[in-house]
Amino acid sequence: MYYVELLLVGLVWGCTYAMMALGLTLVYGLLRILHVAQATVFTLGAYVGLLVANHTGSLAAAFVAAGLAAGALGPLIYRLVYQPILDKPPFVALVASIGVLIAMEDGFRLVFGPYGLSFAKNTWFTTSLRFGGLSLNLVQIWIAIAAVVLLLLFALFATRTRAGVAWRATVSDPAIAESFGVSVSGVRHLSFFIASVLAGVAGVLVGLLNNLVEPGMGSVISYKGLAIIVLGGLGNVPGTLLASVLLGVVESFGTVYLDKVMDRDAIAFMFLIVVLMIRPQGLLGKAH
Amino acid sequence: MSLKSPSTLLVAAALAAAFAVPAAAQNIRIGFHAPLTGFAASDGKTALQGAELAVEQINAAGGVNGRKLELVVQDDQGKPDQALPLANKYIGEGLKVVISGSYSGPTRAAAGVFQNARIPYITAYAIHPDITRAGNFMFRTSFMGEVQGRAAVKLIGDSLKKRKVTLLTLNNDFGQALSAGFKEAAGKFGVQVTSEYTYAMGDRQFGSIVASVKKDDPEVLYISGYFFNGGPLVAQLRAGGVTAPIVGTEGFDTHNFISIAKDAAEGVIITTSLDRDTKLPEMRQFIDDYEKRFNVGAEMVAASTHTAVNVVAAAMRKVGADDSVKLREAIAATKDMAVATGRIGFNALGEVYKAAQIQIIKGGKFRYYAVIDDPVLLAPPTK
Repeated sequence: MYYVELLLVGLVWGCTYAMMALGLTLVYGLLRILHVAQATVFTLGAYVGLLVANHTGSLAAAFVAAGLAAGALGPLIYRLVYQPILDKPPFVALVASIGVLIAMEDGFRLVFGPYGLSFAKNTWFTTSLRFGGLSLNLVQIWIAIAAVVLLLLFALFATRTRAGVAWRATVSDPAIAESFGVSVSGVRHLSFFIASVLAGVAGVLVGLLNNLVEPGMGSVISYKGLAIIVLGGLGNVPGTLLASVLLGVVESFGTVYLDKVMDRDAIAFMFLIVVLMIRPQGLLGKAH
Repeated sequence: MSLKSPSTLLVAAALAAAFAVPAAAQNIRIGFHAPLTGFAASDGKTALQGAELAVEQINAAGGVNGRKLELVVQDDQGKPDQALPLANKYIGEGLKVVISGSYSGPTRAAAGVFQNARIPYITAYAIHPDITRAGNFMFRTSFMGEVQGRAAVKLIGDSLKKRKVTLLTLNNDFGQALSAGFKEAAGKFGVQVTSEYTYAMGDRQFGSIVASVKKDDPEVLYISGYFFNGGPLVAQLRAGGVTAPIVGTEGFDTHNFISIAKDAAEGVIITTSLDRDTKLPEMRQFIDDYEKRFNVGAEMVAASTHTAVNVVAAAMRKVGADDSVKLREAIAATKDMAVATGRIGFNALGEVYKAAQIQIIKGGKFRYYAVIDDPVLLAPPTK
């Protein structure tokens, strides 16, 4: 039973990584930018969600507000930071992205204080459901549901809608897509919007799961997200999702069995190194 | 005004010098560094407030030998690599004494520099043993981790009468020192460490640890950590259905711990240096004045920096503020001095002896639970 519980804990962690990493892989697939500043969007979502939840008492309102705020910030970062330097080598955008992350982290610290905030009433967190010998709290259950539903919606969008087709066309060849009348700029904004809404919702969920929202909460998950998209095979969406879930499970067992040897975050990068030694192209990437 | 022309710059420099020099000559300048930004910024702010309060109180009472105290504050970001330039800056400015309101990383890095420069360096609450081992100019006004770990064993074995303990240990020098002290003393009080899990500073998700604690089913938990990881940890343990009593450390001694863990903080017992229900006048006055001045409850970190400033001021009253070697001797001679953290004195290594205050969280506040005043058990190492 204990192992099943560890497995479930890991799957839930994996779901939060998946929501973050999908956005990172979208942006990478489209623009070849390692969008580290996604963590800022995640943290903003968490703060907005917490403030709205504590103010109105409604978690539904919190998620909507967080999704909207995050959904606005992501495209804004694209417009103000990435767009002017698109013709520069990719590392320029990476450096800019790290700059945004650091500046915003201290911005959060100035605005919301250094101490971290917790939800005034976190009923999902304190309500546990028990099945047999297992117990899961409502946050964990909602994380799993949210991840599955949002990722399914994304899959439907990508395969069944005109915008989705335009998006895929732009990923494979922006010039040809544009000559067929696809607005490349629109597709890019849309991708940032989708990635950011996912990150914002993930931010609130992780805030609820940890019962803490703090200025630096995004940075670890963001760097881990980079490891995940490399693991999955850069730009490969199914690979990214698989890598997220695997990493969550590896961490869950690792934090208990490898805790004396290495930290949780070290486990993530150890896992990355081991996988890349065996499969340099990533879990589902195609060998060149 | 444009500062581009050299003559303007000269005038500006002359003006600055004209205004700065007389003030600097009058005041006694004390170096004080703390993590004012970065991951430990909250403790840094609290530490600075404790020191500022001490300076304000001393100055309001006429200063030291007729001169006012002035803190020369630098931000070390909690990082060891910031400590060296910062220490050299203090030495370059000719400061005679420096206080660390920071964690072990930067403090340990700076200790050797101050020792070489023969400048007394007082560590308010960093716990790494190597700090005072850097030499005879080093002092510490807080418990070493090992000592505090031993106090927790006595609390669990004698007062709570529990035997089977699970340790949840923060994987840094603070957590490891507490764990080492705990395990060393466990046998003496019939306490048995049945399992131990360590976690990293940045971790906020403890699902796997909660599952493991439920499997192990200990009689009591001993948790090291700070409010920002211990708060979520305690909340997640309680939400996960763990009901065993929780014993924490001075890392939880902040209202932030309670405001993060909320109801889950109720009943948590900690070992610390500050008794909110104290009758010792110096401690009582510190607690009341701090709350009045900053509108938040007093905390161990602030009490420790407040103590450090007062130790320095007392030494300066005896030997003046201009000779760092004499200052060192006067600080080392501190004995049974009543301050915000109790009655303190230093041993040959510059380590403090004081009683351990045991506090319990009740109704969202720290309250008196017990005091452990055992000079043998709580004796700090002498070398």
